[in-house]
Amino acid sequence: MSEYAISVASNMGMIAFVALSAYVILVVGEISFGQQAYFGIGAYMSGAATAMWGWPFGLALAVGSLSAAAAAFAIGALTIRLRGLYFAISTLCFAEMLRLWLNSVHVRVEVDGEMVGPDGAEGFGDIRWIFENDVTPLEFMFIIYGLLGAVLAFLLLVERSRLGAALRMVGQDPLLARSQGIDASACKLLAVMFAGLIAGLGGGLYAHFATYIEPNVFNVMLGVHGLAYGLIGGLGTALGPIIGVVLDIGFLEGIRAIQGYRMIVFGGLVAILLIVMPRGILDETRVYRIKRWMRRT
Amino acid sequence: MLEVRDLVTAYGTIEALKGVTLSAKQGEITCILGPNGAGKTTLMYSIACILKPVSGSVKVNDTEITGTSAPHALRCGIALVPENRLVFHSMSVEENLMAGAYTRLSSDRAGVQADIDNAYARFPSLKDRRAQIAGTLSGGEQQMLAVARAMMSRPKILMMDEPSLGLAPLIVAEIFSIIRQLNDEGVSIVLVEQNAHKALQIANRFYLLDQGRVTFSGTPGEIGEDDFIQRAYLGSKVA
Repeated sequence: MSEYAISVASNMGMIAFVALSAYVILVVGEISFGQQAYFGIGAYMSGAATAMWGWPFGLALAVGSLSAAAAAFAIGALTIRLRGLYFAISTLCFAEMLRLWLNSVHVRVEVDGEMVGPDGAEGFGDIRWIFENDVTPLEFMFIIYGLLGAVLAFLLLVERSRLGAALRMVGQDPLLARSQGIDASACKLLAVMFAGLIAGLGGGLYAHFATYIEPNVFNVMLGVHGLAYGLIGGLGTALGPIIGVVLDIGFLEGIRAIQGYRMIVFGGLVAILLIVMPRGILDETRVYRIKRWMRRT
Repeated sequence: MLEVRDLVTAYGTIEALKGVTLSAKQGEITCILGPNGAGKTTLMYSIACILKPVSGSVKVNDTEITGTSAPHALRCGIALVPENRLVFHSMSVEENLMAGAYTRLSSDRAGVQADIDNAYARFPSLKDRRAQIAGTLSGGEQQMLAVARAMMSRPKILMMDEPSLGLAPLIVAEIFSIIRQLNDEGVSIVLVEQNAHKALQIANRFYLLDQGRVTFSGTPGEIGEDDFIQRAYLGSKVA
């Protein structure tokens, strides 16, 4: 694989975490424009863990994703009563607050004679774990896809379970779900928290892949893309958002002919799909038909 | 069986229920009538613990359930068929039935399967459509499915919020005969209806709800004696 291909593939893998994160919230019937915040928290926390505190990589990823999950839980507990637009706006507000706040966070420590740590708008550089441990881009790509595969497998398992059914019911009609004896608020909170965890994990990977992060990386466009991938690929299965990612980055970015027009084509694609297939390519009905067809054959 | 006392439920500062007291007896069909905005649906949600009342009490068989959760109310034997939101649209008929047994889905697989078979025996048309997406059923079939799903929780009290809403007269008649049949099998029914004529035909006792208060209660036999109710809800007898 060429270096370019590896980098595109790695980027695809990492943004897939944001897409899956946004998807989990879409499943319970809400829209979040703020999943980039948890990606950011994961990136900053796990970056700090390896670069500033010298923790091992695995522990750093765990710290990053757990902090993101904790933040998501705290914000979720505050906003869970909001619905629709109000919930969406609140997620966006929190993400923007965090991004602007990160611009003024300066926590610098001396490691091996050099100052490292978040330096406000200057960013947070020298997250040198992959250099110090001689991890090649190809190896790191495998780490990304290994973890992505694990998250995806877990989501697919949950979707087959009783919990998964409950989450979908809450997404379709919270009130009707409650009258079946489902604790809709708990389901939503769980989804929000798990979405934070997934985004945080992706963020931790991103910090070590890029070795340099700055608050503006985690702007609203990142979250909007993540959201759009789910809406394009379909909300019927966790594979949907992955299809969205592959379509956008793998396909559109791959076609050099439309270079520079990618966002126009992408926007148009989203608009067309929302009209023709409002819940994406692999929506619930299509997933159900495919499952039935597979059982027959 | 079901005792509601001085129930007050508010949306913000607006009190939708201003102290409702009523009771539904074991094995009876209790009907709640009232115009739009009377608080009928709010009352149903409050009894099912989906809405949290400000004050008052709801007791099932002398057990206080006020302020507990919807799953708890369900365990105490209260099942609700909410108004106008009948089925989970993108799930199949069978998945909808399983949703009704959600609280014991993993602990009692054999029981759930037996209940699904019972539901199909009661509603043969659902059996033919077991793999169909519920959103593609007709309105009547969706209402049947909603009733079947509510029965999956093995309720002692089945609360139905306007089951005849938007359905053809023949289907309405079928729904009412099913309600009567369920009642004969020992399920107590609380029925909210706008179709007063139909409802009073099968009700043992009825309550009239207006602007969050019970304004009248009695048996259907007593209604003819009250001129006001006759005119307001059933239309004048003498044209």
